[in-house]
Amino acid sequence: MRVNPNPMPDLLAALNQSQLETQQASMEIATGRSVNEPSDNPAAAAQLVENNDEATFNSGYLQSISAVQGQLSTADSTLSSVTTALQQALSLGVEAGDGTLSDSDRAAIAVQLQGIQSQLVSLANTTYQGNYVFAGAKTNAAPFVVDATAPDGSGVSYVGNTDVNEVSIGSGYKLAVNVPGSQLFLAAGNSVFLAINNLIQAVQTNTGIGAAVNSVSAASSYLSAQTVFYGNATDQTQSETSYLNAAQLQISQQQNTLGGVDMAATANNLAQAQTDTQATLAAIGKMSQNNLFDYLT
Amino acid sequence: MSGLFASLSIALSSLSVSQQEMATTSNNVANANTTGYSREVADVAAGDPITVGSNSYGTGVVLQKIESLRDPILEIQLNQETQQQSQLNTSLGQLQQLQTQFASSTSGIGADISSFFNSLQQLSPDPSNLELRQSVLTAAGKLATDFNTTANNLQTQRSNLDQNVVQSVSQVNTLTAQIASIDQQISNLQNANQNPGTLVDTQTNLIRQLSGLVDVAVIPTDHGITLATSNGTTLVSGSQSFALTTQVGSDGVQHIFSGSQDITNTLTGGSLAGLIQIRDQEIPSLSSSLDQLAAGLATNLNNANAQGFDLEVPPVLGGNIFATPPAGGVGAAATLTVTMTDPSLIAASSDGTVGSNGNLANLSAVADTPLANGQTPIDSYSSIVFQVGNDTSNTSADADSSNLILQQLQDQRGSISGVSLDEEASNLIQYQNAYQAAAHVVSTVNLLLLDAVNLGMDAAEE
Repeated sequence: MRVNPNPMPDLLAALNQSQLETQQASMEIATGRSVNEPSDNPAAAAQLVENNDEATFNSGYLQSISAVQGQLSTADSTLSSVTTALQQALSLGVEAGDGTLSDSDRAAIAVQLQGIQSQLVSLANTTYQGNYVFAGAKTNAAPFVVDATAPDGSGVSYVGNTDVNEVSIGSGYKLAVNVPGSQLFLAAGNSVFLAINNLIQAVQTNTGIGAAVNSVSAASSYLSAQTVFYGNATDQTQSETSYLNAAQLQISQQQNTLGGVDMAATANNLAQAQTDTQATLAAIGKMSQNNLFDYLT
Repeated sequence: MSGLFASLSIALSSLSVSQQEMATTSNNVANANTTGYSREVADVAAGDPITVGSNSYGTGVVLQKIESLRDPILEIQLNQETQQQSQLNTSLGQLQQLQTQFASSTSGIGADISSFFNSLQQLSPDPSNLELRQSVLTAAGKLATDFNTTANNLQTQRSNLDQNVVQSVSQVNTLTAQIASIDQQISNLQNANQNPGTLVDTQTNLIRQLSGLVDVAVIPTDHGITLATSNGTTLVSGSQSFALTTQVGSDGVQHIFSGSQDITNTLTGGSLAGLIQIRDQEIPSLSSSLDQLAAGLATNLNNANAQGFDLEVPPVLGGNIFATPPAGGVGAAATLTVTMTDPSLIAASSDGTVGSNGNLANLSAVADTPLANGQTPIDSYSSIVFQVGNDTSNTSADADSSNLILQQLQDQRGSISGVSLDEEASNLIQYQNAYQAAAHVVSTVNLLLLDAVNLGMDAAEE
């Protein structure tokens, strides 16, 4: 059978193919990615879009958590200062209840208690990055205002609100990040400010000091119980942080599986493509440079 | 009767045929690298014998014709595969250009969507923070710009394709005119009983070029050939060619007409079909997906913002973040604009208090809300990436196999019609030997005739 006397186009096509493979392998090695264009692996390219979305959200959650943690730890440490101040008020109350004290001694204690009262108001008006942490969502104004005519007799009125903000710290995982100040300091039956105010009056009038001390104690216990919220929230952010870090690792592994380059295999492909190119070039170069005409004399 | 003169005449016929054979060989060698050239062979036959008495004597050799060697069926297959390959390669080139718009998973529209929703997430722990609010608007702006750029790039590519269609149609017309004019010359030669071999080669070559542009079938008739597209539009009939025209249609792109008939959507092969497929199907489909995504995002985010309160004093219900997308979403991606310029207008609050982040949850929920196509925004985008990647990859595979088939067909054609220099050299030796032998016969007969004419005289010795 007669063969095609001009194999050059076939050889050039083969050369083109091996050069294309060389280029592809070099590109993969240079970028470190096997999916440089959607057509390299359409399913992986689409997955990588989702993967980048997950990675963005994941690091976004981590960033939110560190913002939330600042807020939570400010509230938490403020509340432990409140507890300390209440303990101080308790010992002063117990001291004032001692029948051997003179009126002037009790007056001095009452002044100290008033100092603690102002300290408590100032603690309840703590800010974090300019926002009042115990104001519900009315974070732009001090939520506790000294007000002698407050209807509940606590001497303090609350101008915040009862909003509780939630922040997503994971996919579908919403964390409540605040307790409204009214719930912490003015809870019916366990009002911190009412207890302190009553204690001051009891010390000043030397009547019912024992009962007033008991209600400060009750309010203090109540507040300690409320503080647990912040501790819990902080714990949750910590465990979520380790979860998110693990997930981040998984996402980048997945990213690598989808679009990464198997360097050894690709280097091998590159070497092979280069060998092919060399061989084809050699074939073209050596391809019968002579024909019968060269032998006619 | 046979005699010395008959021998002379036979030798002369051999000399003449050998010369013509050598001319054929020479022409083959000269055209060894001519595209589309089919090698020619001299078809020779023994002269009609003369019968004298009971003996019959040969009368030498006769050149019947110079024949071009080609396989008509193979030429048809080559035309068809050229149409296929040209369409696929044209589509592939355009798709590869298209997919660069969607190549990165860490930048572009997909990454912008992720970044925008992340900026809302960052606002949620500190909803009154103006810097964080500004970063939401910045992310929205980046999203809008990338939508605009991508949509405009698609549109630009579409306009370029439209230009290409017009140019290709004009090439088709040039080729059909040339083919028709050559057909006339072929007919003239055939009528004069002459060999139109090389003209047929030229015509075949032009038809091959035409096959690269449009799907044509060759129909041989009594008056030359007829070229028609697969939908039956005649482009050439014998020596007459029929030009195609282009005209902008109601959809704003060039349509191809044969006479008054719009044949734009009936072309099934050649680069024109590839151009039209990308121009009228691939790009509009991608544009429409982008429009739906842009319109869905803008509408849902505007609606979510309207459910909450902004930071103004007193707070009011939130206004639009994006300009209202056009009805039906057509052109939404190209025109997506962030109209909100004051970051305090983002309605993060659900009750009007500055520290509330309740409505941010509604805004963030847009990320998980299915759009008109039933997919979430990021899924919609990832589907677009898959579509363009998959179309490119499939077309690339089809083009590869078509290239291989075409290569094989060309090898087959070469094995029939290609000029082999070895073969020509060997023929040349053969013809040379035949010529030399015939020349010897002439000189021998000449000597014999001399002897016969000078019979009995020894003139040379005198």
